[in-house]
Amino acid sequence: MSALPAFEAVAVDYWAVAPMLVVVAGALLGVLVEAFAPRESRHSAQVALTVGTLVAAFGVLVWRSVNHHSVTFGGSVAVDGPALFLQGALLVMSSVAVLVMAERFGGVGGDAFTPMGASTPGSSQEAAAAKAGYATSEVFPLTLFAVFGMMIFVSANDLITMFVGLEVLSLPLYVMTGLARRRRLLSQEAALKYFLLGAFSSAFFLFGAALIYGFAGSTDLAKIQSAIAQGTTGMDGLLVPGVLLLIIGLLFKVGAVPFHMWTPDAYQGAPTPVTGFMAACTKVAAFGAILRLVYVGVEGSRWDWRLGIAAIAILTMVVGAVLSVTQTDVKRLLAYSSIAHAGFILVGVLAFSKAAVSGVMFYLVAYGFATIAAFAIISMVRQGGSEASHLSQWAGLGKRHPVVAAVFSLLLLAFAGIPLTSGFTAKFAAFAPAVTSGGTAGVLMVIVGVLASAVTAYVYVRIIVLMYFTAAPEAGEGEEVVALMPSIGTTVAITVGVLATILLGIWPGWALDLAGRAAQFML
Amino acid sequence: MGDAAVTIGTGEQVMFWILAPIAVMASLGLVFARKAVHAALGMALTMIILGVFYIAQGADFLGVIQIFVYTGAVMMLFLFVIMLIGVDASDSLIETLKGQRWAAGLLVLGLGGILVSAVGSVTYGLSDGVAQTNTSKGNVPAMAELIFGRYVWVFEVTSALLITAALGAMVLAHRERLGKGPNQREWSRRRFEKGENLAGLPVPGVYARHNAVDTPALLPDGSISELSVSRVLSAREQTRSPLADLEAEDAIRAEIESGSER
Repeated sequence: MSALPAFEAVAVDYWAVAPMLVVVAGALLGVLVEAFAPRESRHSAQVALTVGTLVAAFGVLVWRSVNHHSVTFGGSVAVDGPALFLQGALLVMSSVAVLVMAERFGGVGGDAFTPMGASTPGSSQEAAAAKAGYATSEVFPLTLFAVFGMMIFVSANDLITMFVGLEVLSLPLYVMTGLARRRRLLSQEAALKYFLLGAFSSAFFLFGAALIYGFAGSTDLAKIQSAIAQGTTGMDGLLVPGVLLLIIGLLFKVGAVPFHMWTPDAYQGAPTPVTGFMAACTKVAAFGAILRLVYVGVEGSRWDWRLGIAAIAILTMVVGAVLSVTQTDVKRLLAYSSIAHAGFILVGVLAFSKAAVSGVMFYLVAYGFATIAAFAIISMVRQGGSEASHLSQWAGLGKRHPVVAAVFSLLLLAFAGIPLTSGFTAKFAAFAPAVTSGGTAGVLMVIVGVLASAVTAYVYVRIIVLMYFTAAPEAGEGEEVVALMPSIGTTVAITVGVLATILLGIWPGWALDLAGRAAQFML
Repeated sequence: MGDAAVTIGTGEQVMFWILAPIAVMASLGLVFARKAVHAALGMALTMIILGVFYIAQGADFLGVIQIFVYTGAVMMLFLFVIMLIGVDASDSLIETLKGQRWAAGLLVLGLGGILVSAVGSVTYGLSDGVAQTNTSKGNVPAMAELIFGRYVWVFEVTSALLITAALGAMVLAHRERLGKGPNQREWSRRRFEKGENLAGLPVPGVYARHNAVDTPALLPDGSISELSVSRVLSAREQTRSPLADLEAEDAIRAEIESGSER
């Protein structure tokens, strides 16, 4: 070993990754707060720190990072238009979601979370922990870690970065899923199911990455792209299986059929604010990664696998829509609806045009805000102290709580894609590129998508009819279904969700324009 | 394999054809073993053989790390966990969904078939292994350059993963003690208030040929005292019957009796 060449550190554009650094710094501070702050002040400290961190990261992103489009860290991280747009969307949405998580309804800690995750469900220890004023305020640093992982995920320009981002975003979510205050066994089962299937999907992703590495000799998306363009002879057998396995690993996270098995259970079992966070932000992150993978990395081989993914999109829309008809639990119903939405978004992804990228990003934002607000409302509706998630319990809610019912109806109409709500413009933005540049398969997918939307619209309208035109069953004293009075945080979150839904519905131009300008991937 | 086979020495080929089937069998054992410990050992064996393969291909550092970290540290931790949970814990083999196993098997065969046919049709170019890196930069410096160069971001980010794991483990498994537990004085007072087992629980049996905590004591009437062994051992069915020890005694007594009658 004589005269080794001196080690050269990679060039780092710190402003480009500054929002991520702010988020992870906030998460580490949160862990320290958990260790040192006195118990009484922990909840408020954590909420302030978490929201502050997310807002600060968003500020840094808007202030500096937007002028620092760059592929940095030697090509393993790409901070380009789509990455910045989705990171910004993630930061805003997750701060709204954190406000919902912070809801206490007059208790000591977050109302949705168990006082002590390690206590046996229903045991005297659990009751003693609640009485002693314990609270699982660790969910706030965990949320920040999840957001950090999501931000890495949408900016990952290398399969290894993407995999680590996937794990960083998933691990906190597995833990948070198991921390519900009520129906804890269901929650723990949901967490285990989510964890096992998530680990399973990671294995698919890794297998795919290994095959692609065999094909291209690199995990860098840019090198993979050039390897596909050059066309190495004899190695094609590795490419298509690799791409499909990678995409399957990512489709697990968005809950596309047939990889959706965990979605209804995890959504139902998780604490309701976490479900909202998961549904909105995980979708943004996973679709961000899918967009980058299929548009930057393996776009050149798309004719080999496009039809397979199109079949998955059609199956996702049909199964999501049809199964949502049969649901009797509001959270499961929204879970199947989120599966159907994943199918709608996939239609946009498969159009392969710049307009499709902006349409998909717009859809993710519109769907995300509506979802967080919808789950916030579900967490408010109670019967006898526990969440009234069964559909029959929602009968006649419109008479007793007209505002809550009206807001929920508006959000449901947005999910259905009724004009003048964000759902309509979003569907239009995602479907239009599929018609113009998606070929026959694109048109077919759009037809299926419109039919599936009609089916889901029936489901949503049925809930609205139930709330307004069905009399509530007679209930004894203290057993009525009531909507609790939300605190300022939840009110703000729901207001933001509703405003976004209306604003993106009647005046979508600026957002579409922003998404359109941010739709260019970098290499 | 055509071209590449030229560079593979006879020794390496012999090693491969001996170790590869063992690795495959061990990994099948990981999937099909009924007992968790057997599965873990199967996995450890697979990992050791993989490490040997790495070393044979010139990636000494990776091979040693594979054996040290995965087999030495991770798998042993795994074994500790299995032993803490209970060695006897084995999977329930009841099918909750009818026909699931057949359907899963069919799908596995289908996926395996597609992958094998696709990947098997690939012709690989001549690979120089890591020989070039080994001679120009050295194995370890080249790896360090990747970890602290291009992948430094990913390397740092994995720390977030570790912190999350620690935090999650604390949240899900760490029970803080609420209030003060009873001390010895309090326990003995409670015992006297109840009026049961005033002198404490009976100790386990002490026999001429055997004395251990898993063997219950015998009461004066010859019956077994369940109180003398730990509840945990009884629940796991890890206790031992003292009656086997008594058989020898009975035999001797019978001999003495028959001898005195003579």
